[in-house]
Amino acid sequence: MRAFAFASALSLAFAGAADAAPRRVASLNLCTDELLLLLAAPEQIASLTHLSQSEAETPLWRQARRYRKNDGSLVSVAPLKPDLIVTMGGGARDRGRIAARLGMRTLDVPYPQTIGDIEKAVASVAAALGRSTAAQPVLARIATLSATAPKRSADAVWLGGGGRSVGAGSLGAQWMALAGLKQRRLTGDRITLEQLLVRPPAVLLRSNYRAGQYSGEQRWLSHPLAKGAVRSRTVTTDGRLWTCMGPLLAGEVLRLRRELGR
Amino acid sequence: MTAPLAATGLALPGRLEPTDLLVDAPSLVCLVGPNGSGKTSLLHALAGIGAPSSTVRIGGVDCGGAAPAERRRLLAFLPASREAAWPVTVRDLVALGLPAGAAAAEADWAIAALALEEFANRRIDQLSTGERSRALIARALAPKPRLLLLDEPVANLDPLWQLRLMDLLKRTVAAGQTVLIALHDLDLAARYADRLIVMNARRIVADGEPRALIEGDAIRSVFGIQMGKDGWQPV
Amino acid sequence: MKARILLPALLLLLFAASLLTPWSDFAQLWQQDQALALAVLQELRLPRASLALTYGAMLGAAGAAIQALFANPLASPDLTGTTSGAALGAVVTAYLLGFASPLALSAGAVAGALGALLLLLALAGPKAETATLLLAGLAISALAGALTTLALALAPSPFAFYDAYDWLMGSLIDRSLSQAAFAGIPALLTIMLLLRLRAPLDALTLGEDVAISFGYDVRRLRIEIVSLTALGVGACVAICGAIGFIGLVAPIFARRLTGGHPGRAILPAAALGGALLLAADLAVRAAPLGRTLPIGVVTALLGAPFFLWLVAHMRWRFER
Repeated sequence: MRAFAFASALSLAFAGAADAAPRRVASLNLCTDELLLLLAAPEQIASLTHLSQSEAETPLWRQARRYRKNDGSLVSVAPLKPDLIVTMGGGARDRGRIAARLGMRTLDVPYPQTIGDIEKAVASVAAALGRSTAAQPVLARIATLSATAPKRSADAVWLGGGGRSVGAGSLGAQWMALAGLKQRRLTGDRITLEQLLVRPPAVLLRSNYRAGQYSGEQRWLSHPLAKGAVRSRTVTTDGRLWTCMGPLLAGEVLRLRRELGR
Repeated sequence: MTAPLAATGLALPGRLEPTDLLVDAPSLVCLVGPNGSGKTSLLHALAGIGAPSSTVRIGGVDCGGAAPAERRRLLAFLPASREAAWPVTVRDLVALGLPAGAAAAEADWAIAALALEEFANRRIDQLSTGERSRALIARALAPKPRLLLLDEPVANLDPLWQLRLMDLLKRTVAAGQTVLIALHDLDLAARYADRLIVMNARRIVADGEPRALIEGDAIRSVFGIQMGKDGWQPV
Repeated sequence: MKARILLPALLLLLFAASLLTPWSDFAQLWQQDQALALAVLQELRLPRASLALTYGAMLGAAGAAIQALFANPLASPDLTGTTSGAALGAVVTAYLLGFASPLALSAGAVAGALGALLLLLALAGPKAETATLLLAGLAISALAGALTTLALALAPSPFAFYDAYDWLMGSLIDRSLSQAAFAGIPALLTIMLLLRLRAPLDALTLGEDVAISFGYDVRRLRIEIVSLTALGVGACVAICGAIGFIGLVAPIFARRLTGGHPGRAILPAAALGGALLLAADLAVRAAPLGRTLPIGVVTALLGAPFFLWLVAHMRWRFER
């Protein structure tokens, strides 16, 4: 409910300034790229970052290829004269001022820390686009997931390259909770091979982000102990979704629920 | 009796014209010649350094096919450069010339012959040039090879030791070994050599009895000096 | 000789320490679950300890052989650019060309090491004097290091750049048992083959000509030493990255034990190299604040001052 109130307030604020929906919108951040691809009308999108067009970064890459790409900087989109520039979390202060002087509106979405923040982000971007209706199915999906969250949760560890994991109370952990997985609290948000051997989690959630590209972190993941075969249930998850941990994770959570039988 | 040395096809492109060498009895052979005449190259070819087409038979044994241990009993080569790359002791240096498994006593007699007993356990980089030279000579002598090839062995030695070394080599020949040395000092050669080989422009130009060659034309035409009343004079 | 007993004993002691520290963790685990404790020992501690032992031994033996071949106490796998070349080879093969299997990595590293050594021989020549040898080696090391970092920066994976430290300064952490075997088996084979060349290497003390007169084929010896060094060092670098200074320091002390003979020093140098790297790894584990120091940093901190002392000592000796 709060999300919708917030969205309406926003749309009221903008009502006076520009009644018409913005015609050219540029995004300077991968996560806002994804929001635009989900919420905007195709003719509204003027430019997305080059990351959105990479198969290794987002499942929406094919869609993104239709649009011009930018390198995440204001100067690369300014020539397109966008009506609205969407950014995430910081650097926005200077960009905002410069953009204002150029006659462009900016919307800076703060880094989400909770699932509620995700809902707010969806609502605010949709409102700024004048497409609040497009936001409804997305928000509904998240609401349903929250409502049907499993009661029992298994001890789990999200595993990225080199032993990286997520914080026990972080946004990633909150999404995992919706799938019935309780992220273990780890020092430095990292797990070591020894810990994986001595106290294996019930479920090992392995990210496949850039699994085909060689790096020291990937080599760590191919260590026999990191594969968790012996005493953990190993589940692979699409690592790309966990970069932004945005509304696209809703589908992944449903899939995880099915796979884990919850 | 088989010849101590029967070598054929000794040649080094650009340094030594093809030549043969036969020594039919143990003797002290001195090689003389101006710089660049091929003395070192001849010694190299005999020692097997860079002369693939030559055949060297020592005491009837073909050197080319000999295993390293046997080869050390056949020939020893002492280069003109007195290099020793690592600071080993004199005793260890002399022992390097011996085949693997040889008794330590074999090094000892060579150390004694070159009067190095007091330096035996000292590192060679702590010796004077002359002492180091003697140690390297001892290395060549230690295995008592049938053929000794020495390039300028008396360089860096004081006059006393030059004479002592030549005496030692004479005794070595008397014991049945053959010694081939490259020398610049014609007097030493005249005094000690059983046979003199004169080289010029990469080939042997004269070969025979030392006194005859020195009094004859060979030395004069090659070096441009001749023996006069008061010693060697330019021609 | 006392060293015959002391060196292996030291090695065994350090190996055991590497396996069993931190003791308290292990003891606790042993009481709870013996099978698990053994698994920790086997899967985690054993690879690390055996990599330290075999990589260190390989560096020591290769250093001794290269120093004997070039008749120069300053030659070593790192100063001749061998380890840097190996790292470059591995990085290009895995990150840029995309062949990331252990065999491909090793092959790339061996090719890189071989390339560096051949380049050195071409630049400086086999009978190079110290200055030429060092300059050529340093130039090759610097070039290989820069190219390695460049390759990592341009690699497809954005995480590659953070691997630079691992490749340029080495790491023994989180390697599996099969990886340890991939490095250890070629290393041990190479050391054994190098040991067979002790006698001709000792003969080189008297100069190349005398060695040939002894009946040794010095050209073939050169090829063998270069190939074996590239093989052994390459296999280790492919797994652990480039670790410096062990190949320089271990042979120098080993020659002290053998009275200066370089060929006889290969085995003691291997033992000393293994001991040094095991000790460096233990030091890494003792790092404050639980931080991870790249092992190459520790060997450099120990080795560089020693290297400076060596240079000063050589100069002083020649000026006497």
